[in-house]
Order: sequence, then structure tokens, then C-alpha cells
Amino acid sequence: MICPRCDSNTAEKLLDAPKDKSWEVFLCQTCWFSWRSTEDEAVTNPAKYDEKFKLKPAELDKLLAIPPIPPLKQSGTM
Amino acid sequence: MPYKNLREFLTKLEEEKQLVRIRDEVMPEPDISAAGRAAPNIENGPAVLFEKIKGYHNPAVLNVHGSWANHALMLDLPKNTPVKEQFYELDRRWSKYPIKPKWVSCGPVKEVIIKENINLFSVLPLFRVNRYDGGFYISKALVVSKDLEDYDNHNKQNVGTYRLQVKGKDLLGIQALPFHDIGIHLRKAEELNEPLPVAICIGNDPTLTFMASTPIAYDQSEYEFAGALRGEPVELTKSETGNLDIPSGAEIVLEGYIIPRSRSVEGPFGEFPGSYSGARLQAEVKIHTITHRVKPIFENLYLGIPWTEIDYLMALNTSIPLYRQIKETMPEVVAVNAMYTHGIGTIISTKSRFGGYGKAVAMRLLSTPHGMPYSKIIIVVDEYVDPFNLPQVMWALTTRVRADKDVVLIPNAPGMPLDPTSEPPGMHTKLIIDATTPVAPDVICRETELLATPPKAGEWEKIIRGLMSDKGVGK
Repeated sequence: MICPRCDSNTAEKLLDAPKDKSWEVFLCQTCWFSWRSTEDEAVTNPAKYDEKFKLKPAELDKLLAIPPIPPLKQSGTM
Repeated sequence: MPYKNLREFLTKLEEEKQLVRIRDEVMPEPDISAAGRAAPNIENGPAVLFEKIKGYHNPAVLNVHGSWANHALMLDLPKNTPVKEQFYELDRRWSKYPIKPKWVSCGPVKEVIIKENINLFSVLPLFRVNRYDGGFYISKALVVSKDLEDYDNHNKQNVGTYRLQVKGKDLLGIQALPFHDIGIHLRKAEELNEPLPVAICIGNDPTLTFMASTPIAYDQSEYEFAGALRGEPVELTKSETGNLDIPSGAEIVLEGYIIPRSRSVEGPFGEFPGSYSGARLQAEVKIHTITHRVKPIFENLYLGIPWTEIDYLMALNTSIPLYRQIKETMPEVVAVNAMYTHGIGTIISTKSRFGGYGKAVAMRLLSTPHGMPYSKIIIVVDEYVDPFNLPQVMWALTTRVRADKDVVLIPNAPGMPLDPTSEPPGMHTKLIIDATTPVAPDVICRETELLATPPKAGEWEKIIRGLMSDKGVGK
């Protein structure tokens, strides 16, 4: 399934509604976007997702890391 | 009487007509966030309890702290208590710190214990807070963690509210900024390549939520401050794993650990400055245990362009620590109003000891741990100007400020990354406006004689308020 936000073909169904299976939740394994089947098309439809909030899979590794991962402490320095 | 847990407070709110129940079934989107936006638009808006949410078993409540009436009731004050009086009452209670917690072996939060097949959606009626958020968020939880280098030190245990993005049935993204206490815990854990145990407590006594978003020192205990505010110890019990202290009356506790030395896409999220943060690479929490009350209530928070619930929640709890830190060395300071976007905008009233004192007070604010990165626009007014009364503050600005002498810019200073003017994120320019009356040795060009308040005006204010209250006027 295509992710509405990053357009990768890596989205999968995560679960059904706990009660009456009245909706489904999907999750993208590339950009971690999630959505519910009952949300409006501005959220669920890749063609209608606002360009300003789209993410490019190739650029995800370049996003700022907060907080940065610190250097490992050498044993015996504590 | 302090509230033992969220449910007792909701009962009080309902008695005081500060809670409404939505009994009809609603959709997770857009109904819940829409109501979360709408309630604080109403003067003294109520908490909103959703009893039936499509597809979910459990209820949700929003806007619990979202009005000055609810804020006053949290402190067990009459619901029409003016903001400035709430400020001074909080300051009075602050002096009672610390009141040590009471530990109990069990509590309502252990009524149901889940250790297998974790599914956050089966317990929490999750919903999208703002349309372009990266997922469903837990936005009002207490995240409890400890310092791995000093694990038995109760005071270094941190209880803070950090945004949590649901990224799977048992996985959350967490924003742990380096200047937050959990950022320190995470750094120490990652230096050792150790998982950091966390307990995420949802649905609490309102003073706990209040303290979890209060900027106090690293080695001060949020639980002991909450005890001071309540006038009674907070009741705690132990988490199932990790030896963490959790409120025994919490609705839901998610237990897990922050995965060390790993970052993954998180966000965007609509944040308290009223705009979206960007997507970032942030840490993740693996959940392995859930404990909860029977039929737990999911307390969550909508935040939008101010004012929404978060602006009430982070108003006086930002003002009081700043007030006390400044007053410690500058006793002339009368009050601090840091209610604007978590103190990005701050108004201080002070008596001036000598010329230029107003500017010095502002610079003291900018050297406090919270004021340093957050405060950007600082207005200083005379001691007789009420900093919580914006028309009075505007009067001070219009009649006291000499633009050539009283306005100061400090470029390239520490900033708050979520402030959209912060460029690069984490740096900004400070603006100080000294609207105090010049005193010697400053040059006083013209003597100014202030209009006096007629005698007995204070008495008359009480009489009129009493008459309005008796007749139900203004309720």
C-alpha cells in the first residue's frame, strides 16, 4: 500500500478497531506515518496529501537527530 | 480537599458545571480534536468527556485544565478566583516544598495488568490531534524516568510531559530535548548503551500533570512539589518493572524502555507555539507492560493557536519558578507573568532600586535555566502595574517607554527550537522593553504625578463582586 505522506509502497495495515472492526489503522514502514481509514482524503489519499508535509524517503536519514547520539563512555571512565 | 486521582477531579468539575459529557457516539477524527479546540474558545470553558468513541471501548477527556475556572478548582479555590490571586496562592504553597510522597503496595492502577500481546489501541482511544501530525499522539502523559548513574536518588527521578507519537502497537516516538531532564537521563543511558526504563502515566490528579510541565531543577522532585500544592502527600506505588514510582491512582501506565542509540522519524506535531514542528529523527520507546484501572479514561490534550488547554496548563507553572528565581536576588520584583507561549513572552513588575534596574531584572530572567532559551520578548513594568492585566501593561508601554533608551536587542542568544523565529533553531534575538518609570541616576525629564485610586475602591470591588455572585450575574 502507498503511504500518503512519503509515497513509498511500504505501508501496511497495523490493526482493526478494537470494537466492531469499524475502521483500520495503517502504518508506513519507511516514514512511520499512520492513519485511520475513516479520516478525510487530505490525510489518507497520497494524491491529496499537502505537498508541504510530504517527506522524501531518500532524505529521511538527513533529518536533524534530536538529541544527537552521544559518544560511548569507555569502561573505567565513570 | 485534594483530589486523589483524575476521577475525583472530574466529579468536582461536574459539580461546578465545568465538565460536559458527550453521550452520543463520536468519530475519533475530527470530533475529538474539534471539541478540544472549541472548549477553550468559550469563556471559562469546561472539560469535555467523550463516553462513546467509534471503534473503541474506553472514554476520553480533553480540556481538563483548559480554563481559569478549572485551574482554580485544581487548587481547590473558588472557580472565579482571579489569575493574580491564583499566582500568589501558588507561590505560598511553593514554600511548603518538599512534602514527601506516601508509598503504597498497590492501587487502582493495578486493577488490570497486561504483559503479553501489547496493543496500545485496545486501551487508549487514540486520535489525531492536528491534521498534519505524523500520527496519533499521547500529549498529556507523565513520563517517569531515573538517572542510571544514581538510580536510587528519588529527587533525580524525573516526571515530565513529552510528546509521544504512536508508531506501532507497542512502539512510541518520544521528543527528549537535550535541555529537558529526560534528555539528561537519555544521554547518560546512551553513553552506557543501556535501555532507559520509563513509565508513562496517563490520566492523573491534576496537580501532577501541572507539575510535570513545570520547569524545576534537575534534583527537585515533581511528586514532592505536587504534595506541597495539594497540602498532602501524593500516593505512589511501584511500576511492574524498572523500580519507578508511579501514581497509584493513575488511569493507565505504559511501561517500557527507550531503545538506546537509535533514532527514527518522528513528527511533525502541532506544537505549543501554534505551528507544526518539523519531522526529526528522535528516540523510540518499546512498551512491554500496561497496567490500568477498569474502564480507564484517556486524558489527552489538544493544542492549537493559543489559547488552548496547554496555555492554561503552562501559564502559572512557568511564572512561579521564574518569579522565585529572580526574586531571590532582586527582592523588589512583585510578580512575573510568563503565560505567553511557555514564557517566550514574559512581563515582570518590579520596583526600581536605581536607574536601569528594569533592564537588569530582564537580564536576570535571561540567566535563569528556563528564561535563557525560552524568553524572547521581555516587558518590565513598575511595581504598581499588574502584569496579568494586559490593558495596564499597554498603558505602561504607551506612557513609560522611551524608544531610544528603553528598548534593547540582544542578537544571537540562546533560543527555543520550536519558536518559528528561532534561526538557526535554538538561537534567537532577545527583545527587552523597559516600561518602568526612570529613577535616579537616570535622567528624569519630566515629573509625572499619577492619578490616585479613590479611597475604599478595594472594598467596593469586593461589594460589587459579592452582589454579582449573589445574583448569578456573570456566571
